[in-house]
Amino acid sequence: MPTAKPSSTVKTAAQPAPVPPRVTPDNPQRPYPGALIVVEGIDGSGKSTQLYLLKRWLEISGYKIHFTEWNSSPLVKSATSRGKKKKLLTPSTFSMIHAADFADRCERQILPLLQSGYLVLADRYIYTAFARDGARGCPEAWLRNLYNFAPQPDITFYFRAPLEVSINRILVGRPALKYHEAGMDLGLSLDPVESFKIFQGMILDGYDRMVATDNFVLMDGTQQVNRLQKHMRGIVRSRIDLNRYRVKP
Amino acid sequence: MSAAARKKKSVRADRNRKKAAELLENDLDLTFAKRFFDTPLPGHAPEEWTGKLIVVEGSDGSGRSTHIALLKEWLESQGFAVETMGLRRSNLIARDLDEILAHNVVTSRTLALLYATDLYDQLENRIIPALRAGLIVLADRYFFSLVARAAVRGIARGYLEKIYGMTIRPDMTFRLKVPPQIAFEREFRKNQMISFWESGRDMHLSDSLYESFVSYQSKIAGELDVLSKKYGFIEISAEGSIPRVNEALRRHVAEHLGIRSTKFTPSSALIHLWR
Repeated sequence: MPTAKPSSTVKTAAQPAPVPPRVTPDNPQRPYPGALIVVEGIDGSGKSTQLYLLKRWLEISGYKIHFTEWNSSPLVKSATSRGKKKKLLTPSTFSMIHAADFADRCERQILPLLQSGYLVLADRYIYTAFARDGARGCPEAWLRNLYNFAPQPDITFYFRAPLEVSINRILVGRPALKYHEAGMDLGLSLDPVESFKIFQGMILDGYDRMVATDNFVLMDGTQQVNRLQKHMRGIVRSRIDLNRYRVKP
Repeated sequence: MSAAARKKKSVRADRNRKKAAELLENDLDLTFAKRFFDTPLPGHAPEEWTGKLIVVEGSDGSGRSTHIALLKEWLESQGFAVETMGLRRSNLIARDLDEILAHNVVTSRTLALLYATDLYDQLENRIIPALRAGLIVLADRYFFSLVARAAVRGIARGYLEKIYGMTIRPDMTFRLKVPPQIAFEREFRKNQMISFWESGRDMHLSDSLYESFVSYQSKIAGELDVLSKKYGFIEISAEGSIPRVNEALRRHVAEHLGIRSTKFTPSSALIHLWR
């Protein structure tokens, strides 16, 4: 694992971001007793590993949790995968079909579970759509409206590593990049690897722009896995009253 | 004319020419921007289209599909090439939508977003290519119906209108109006039944199929009234006979396209609709 500091122009997590109000039953800002923890970042930033470890910690400690992944609703899955395979998707339909997928998961899992007092862990959330569809040319205001029904996360961890680091993690030991994953639909380059690099760079820029506006907690994706996880758990403990989510015997 | 005057005149002429060129350029961009409601679809550069988008809205039983079939034949007889579109007809997602509707497990918002996906897919792959090629696109419903359906199920109208902000503005939008009681009669006569969604059964308005249909279609009509005002629909009563209503439609279209005659008798293939 490289130990170099990210060549980032953004502030790191050492400087605390403004802390949102703690989750309490009488906080009028939250119409539900649950809490939502989100991880975001480009492919290879280490976010899924860290969320998995957070999930294991919460499970082993006996908390009520639910884990949800981007682009996983069974209702929309066949259309999405067919669209991708046959390259039927355009920037607008790519964006719309993912929004439909999210709406299904949101209204049938995320929101009801938040209402019933769960800790919901989301691997990618609406910011993935903002960064990725934004890179495909969808206007930001249009995207923000499209997802305006999404519950506000209690914590959004943004895992950031330098572009080269993330890309190397993905490219090592992977046979071939998928068409949309590499952003081949944008016509950036005929070489999938080259296209992937440019596309991931555009998405990274999109994420960086949201750090200030969307209250991201910036996480240094180049740190050692266990050290980063300790840091992540500390932030969760300080922002969320975990006792409320203990499984009652 | 003195040399000075000549020079002054030529400078003025130059300036005018420049202004005119600027105006033309701005005009072109404006035309392009006006083709879309809010913002152009991503990946679409300004260009001139000669095609026309003509939308026919109206409840089930208003005769929409019949009139579109007849309009298509009439326009073709006049030498216009026609493409048609409708809801749930995209390559991308129509089949999945059929299946989802059959199971009734979907929430209103997801359904609204899937319909939007369907419309955008047709827009990109069917409507825009047709408009670019100079065709007349006849739309058997457009996003107005979709906004109305979702709005009566509690989704904010503004939310949906913004989602459809990257769609093409129709050149004409007709609304065929018919009271829900008559629509029920026509639909029942045609299919010998009334479908679950057509009567808004998911909204639990009434246990009586008839009451549910009438109450649901009235709510939809209320939403379409609002949209009609906002988007300038041409409202046509569809209570009259098919030839009568079709004549009214042809008159409006003829005027818009500069066609002189609206005389028309359908071919033997469509004559059964002519009653």
